[in-house]
This record gives sequence, C-alpha cells and structure tokens, in this order.
Amino acid sequence: MNRISASQISRRSILAAPLVLGMPYVIGRAEAQNEPLRFGVADPLTGPSAIFGLDQMQAVRWAVEDINAAGGVNGRKLEAIIVDHQAKPDVGIAVVTRLIQVDKVPAFITAFSNVVKAVAPIANREKALMLSVGANSPDIKNLGDYVYTTFPLADVDMRALGSWLYTKQNKRKAAVLYVNHETGTEGAKVFTAAFKAAGGEVVLNESYEEQRSDFTGLVLKVRAANPDIVHIHSVISDFTAIVAQMRQLGLNTQVTSFQTAFNPKMIQELGKGAEGIIVTAMAPSAEDNANVPKYLERWQAAHKREPIGLPYTQYFHDAPYIMAALFKHVLDQKQPVTGENMRKALLAIRSFDLPLTNRITFNDDHTVNAPTYFWQVKDGKFQVVGKL
Amino acid sequence: MTEFLLTLAILAGINVLLACGFNLILGYGGLVSVAQPVFYAIGAYSSALISMKLGVPVPLAMILGALIAAIASIGLSLPSLRVSGDYLVIASMGFQLGIVHIINNVEITGAASGLSGIVSAVESPSRSMIYAVILMCICAVTIFAIRWLVTGPYGRAITAMRNDEDVFASLGRDAVRIKVTLFAVGSGLAGLAGGLYAHYFLFLTPDQYGIFSSATLLTMVVVGGAATVRGPVLGAIFLTVLPEAIRFLDLPIAVMAPLQGALFTGLVILFLFVKPEGLFGGKAGGGLDAWQGRDTGGSGRKGVK
Repeated sequence: MNRISASQISRRSILAAPLVLGMPYVIGRAEAQNEPLRFGVADPLTGPSAIFGLDQMQAVRWAVEDINAAGGVNGRKLEAIIVDHQAKPDVGIAVVTRLIQVDKVPAFITAFSNVVKAVAPIANREKALMLSVGANSPDIKNLGDYVYTTFPLADVDMRALGSWLYTKQNKRKAAVLYVNHETGTEGAKVFTAAFKAAGGEVVLNESYEEQRSDFTGLVLKVRAANPDIVHIHSVISDFTAIVAQMRQLGLNTQVTSFQTAFNPKMIQELGKGAEGIIVTAMAPSAEDNANVPKYLERWQAAHKREPIGLPYTQYFHDAPYIMAALFKHVLDQKQPVTGENMRKALLAIRSFDLPLTNRITFNDDHTVNAPTYFWQVKDGKFQVVGKL
Repeated sequence: MTEFLLTLAILAGINVLLACGFNLILGYGGLVSVAQPVFYAIGAYSSALISMKLGVPVPLAMILGALIAAIASIGLSLPSLRVSGDYLVIASMGFQLGIVHIINNVEITGAASGLSGIVSAVESPSRSMIYAVILMCICAVTIFAIRWLVTGPYGRAITAMRNDEDVFASLGRDAVRIKVTLFAVGSGLAGLAGGLYAHYFLFLTPDQYGIFSSATLLTMVVVGGAATVRGPVLGAIFLTVLPEAIRFLDLPIAVMAPLQGALFTGLVILFLFVKPEGLFGGKAGGGLDAWQGRDTGGSGRKGVK
C-alpha cells in the first residue's frame, strides 16, 4: 500500500490540490451547460386509451425535433422524457414520482382528468410545474399552485355546445348519456346545465358504468323519450358502440359529443351511421390556422392517415413550445432551472403564440380560453359547421 | 432518488399491511374472499372524510377508518357463516362490486371524479422519511402481533377450523366467532392501510379498488407464501418493487405492456403449479399445503374451504 508521508507533501502540491479537487465541479458545470433541457411527458401508451396517447406522443416528438432543428433553447437541446401512465391514477403517481424525483424534471405535461387529479398533490408538494394538456374536468383549475391547463376545460366547450344547439340548430329536447367516470359525469353536468339555461329540455339523463358492452336498454329509453338530439359524453369505444346500437335499432336521431369522438376510426366503424354526428373541438381548424394543413400533410406522409383526436394532438404538439419558452425565460434570467422558476416564467410570460393552437393566454384561475369549433360528419369526413 | 425510494418503501409498507390482513383471512382462515380491496377503500375514504369534514386529527381518523372497515367486514363475514369455497368467492365479489358502485355514485366520496383535498398526515420537508419510519414501525408491530396470534393457542384453533370445520364444531368450538374475528382483524388492517395511503398520496378514486387490486393482492399472498407470517410480507415487497424495477429497464412499450400485465395474473398460476408453498413458504406449512390441511399431519378434509 502506498502512503504519502507529511514530508513528501510539497507546497506546490498543496497549491495544486484545490484545483484538482475543484476539477469535477468545473467539468460538471460545463457538462451541465451543454446538457439537454429535459421535461417530462406522461400519457397512456398502453391500454385502451393508448389509441390517443400514441398519436399525442408523435406530435410531441415532432415538436421537439422541430425546436431542436431550429437551434434548440439558447443553443441547448430540448428533450422529452416520455412515460406511460396507462390512464390509471395509481400508475400515474408512480411514473410522475419517478419523473420528478429520479429524472429530476422541473416541469411535465400530462393528460386524462383522473391522472391529473391524482398527480396534482405530487406536483404541488415537489414544486414541479404541471401542464395539463387534454384533460377537461372543470375541477382541474382548483388543483393547486403548480397545476395549469393549456387546454380549455369542459365548462368551455360543453357550455358552448348546449347554447349553440338551442340557438343555432333549433334543438329543443335533449337526451344525455354519459359514462360514470370523471370525464363523463363532469362533461354531462355542464352540457345539461347549459342546454337548460338556453331554454331546452333534457328529457333523459342517464349514466352507465364503465366496461359495459350492451346499450340496448339505454337506446330503448332514448327512443321512448323522443329527443331532438342525443348527447353522448363517453370514451370513444362506448360512443361508437352506442351509436351503432342506436342505428341498428332504427334510431337515427342526431348525435353530439365532445373532442374524444373526433376520430376518423369512429367514422370508418360506423360508416353511414356516423353521418350528421356533431363534435366539439377547441383547437383551430385549417381556416383559422395556416399550419394545420401542413401538419395534416405530415401525418399523411408519415402514417398515411389523420391523427386520432386531431384537436388533442394539436395541443400536445404545442406543449413543448411552451416548455421551450419557459426554459428560455429561466435561462435568460440566469436562474437555476427549477419547477419554482418555471412557474414564475409562466406567470411572467402569460401569452404564448403557438404553431397549431394560435395564441393562448393563461388566466389567473390557471385556465386558458379558446373558441369552440363545431365539426360535423358529412360524406364520411369531419367538416367545420360552426364556431362560438 | 432518495425521495423516490422512500415513496416506494411507503407503498411497499402499505401493501405489507394489506397482504398480512388478507393472509389472515385467505391463508390462515382458508376463507377465499376477493373483497379485501373494498375494506382498503372503506378505510381510505372514511379516514379522509372524517379528517376533512369533521376536523378530526389524522392519526385518530386513521384509527377510526380501520375500525369502520372492521365493522363493515361483518357485512361479508355474516354470509360466510353460511357459505364457503366457491360460494364465498361469489358473495365477496358481489360485496366488492356493490361497495365500489356505491362509492362511484355517492357525492360525498367525490363519486367517479375521485376525492381530492385530503389532509396530509405529515407536513415537513422530511415528510416522506418521517412517514416511511412510522409505517415501518406499524408494519413491524403488525407482523409481530400476527406471529403471536397464529403461533399461540388461538392460531391452532384457526388452523383446526380451516382444516375441518365439522370436526372443529363437534369439539364444541365456535367456528363462527373465529371467522368473524378473522374478517374483522384482516379488514381492519386493510382499513388502516387505506388511511395511510389516503393521507400520503392525497387522492382517492374508485378505480383503485376494482377486481384488478384483488388479483394483485392474491398474487402477493400466493407468491410470498399463504398461511405463513413472512410470506405475504416478502411477497408484498417483492411485487411492489418488481414493476418499478421493470420500468427502469426502459424496455420498448411493446414488450413492457404485456410484461407488466402478465406479471400479476401469470405469477399466481405459475406458483400454484410450480411452487404452491410460495417463494418464502418454507418446505411445509404454507400455501396450498395449508389449505389442503397437510400442515398439521391430521386428517384434514381435502379441498379449499
């Protein structure tokens, strides 16, 4: 074993020691300055909701690629750490804990109301900025200091739909069917209140439990109630099954829903039965945003189809641009990249001009406003029929 | 990383309490119930609501939540006095679906939207560390208490009842009392675990207490070794850590999803065929052997009761 005696330690080595000991810190700092700026993305990549999550992640990846191709953020690359929460709250807690505590992301984006609510205490406790992108429960605005939504909540589009159906479409009697979970109950509640407030009558208001496959009883109740319109607030598989069973039983009443039904696969599966269905969307159409046609062409070129849930993917595509702006603000202010400073940056910037969702401005209540677009299935395709 | 490991330890501790309670009912009592997650839910919601609505201090609310779960278990243990085996499985499944349905539709529980705004048990920068230490102490006390219970005269009475209820009754012993007690203690532990979960993770939703949680718990007990003290403890820790360890492998989604999904369901089947005594069941006395009455060397009736 080699040992250094006191007599062997020269003054030069004593002087050199702090430099040698300090080297890892200097190298570490230099490396840190070149390290990518990481943010988290938690979305369902497996399970029944993956049909949306996979396309949303494609949109995120394209946005990150485009930002980096344009020079990144102050010369540093942006990196999205993508994890799968399966649209389950308990899995969401596990993966978001890992994002914050292991991957040390200062901010993350996520979606699906039940997961957003489950992980909100973690974001607040750990002071990590959470952007909800695509969850629409009205409760989201009350989840704490570190929870913001880039996506208009259900009380925006469902209020608009209820009013628009009465005033512009002359619908007087509505039947409301909804799945008994977070999104279904809250969305149906807002729609019912808005339709009634406009002067309409809700002749049927029925919920059903998740994972049901036979809706004959519900459809027969709808027929007996004889409404002008049937509003279905549900997951896409149930929505398609309910409409299919309505059409099989000869019930051709007009159907409405929210953004989850904005799905080309639904039209394929229902065929002519889909004609006339009206859905809401809170992302701009091609008429209001010049980048949307190019974005759709990109999908055609890469996947030979449109994205599932186009409006959701528009918001997901734009979320990395918000992250990039926040990182830039923090770096320009020469502050450490922490969740606290990312939140301060959000409050300082407030308004963001985004490629696919135009200008969004964060309100004091943590929400954003956006116009509601009404799309209708005509000749097997979604076409814009109104805006409010 | 430390914070992440502490969170994992807390989750493992909660699962240890759940598995130990379930093991009392399923392993020692031979009472095949799938409703254990419902008592977990009752404890979690009761504790959260008592502290939120009545302003009761969190530790007291947790104890009350456990007591409410224990009392609620009578709703299931009473039918079990008349039925066993397959019939008890069906009765417990109905009980579970019914309670989850109620939680899913009652406004006070937040219904399908879930319950948020729950009071945190500990407010401190070292919150996770403090919580983990408290939880480890509770787990240690629970494990020693169960060990004391099942190795003493009462434990022998439980085993005798499980192995042959008719003979046990003919000796003048009261099987009804043992069943009700086992359900109450096992469910009370689940209720306590629920309270501990609620006041740490601060959000509850009915989705967490469905049939998949029953399968997860069953896997913890069977893989660890039913009717043994250490089996469910180690099974719970193993099956809490394993899915997280798999996540760290960063496997492709196409591999990860089936692997995670098959883990809980596949392991039960595999262990029942290949290692029925479980990973930590020892050479004799645990798992299928115990259910079949082979641990006592007596003339136990074959088949799970």
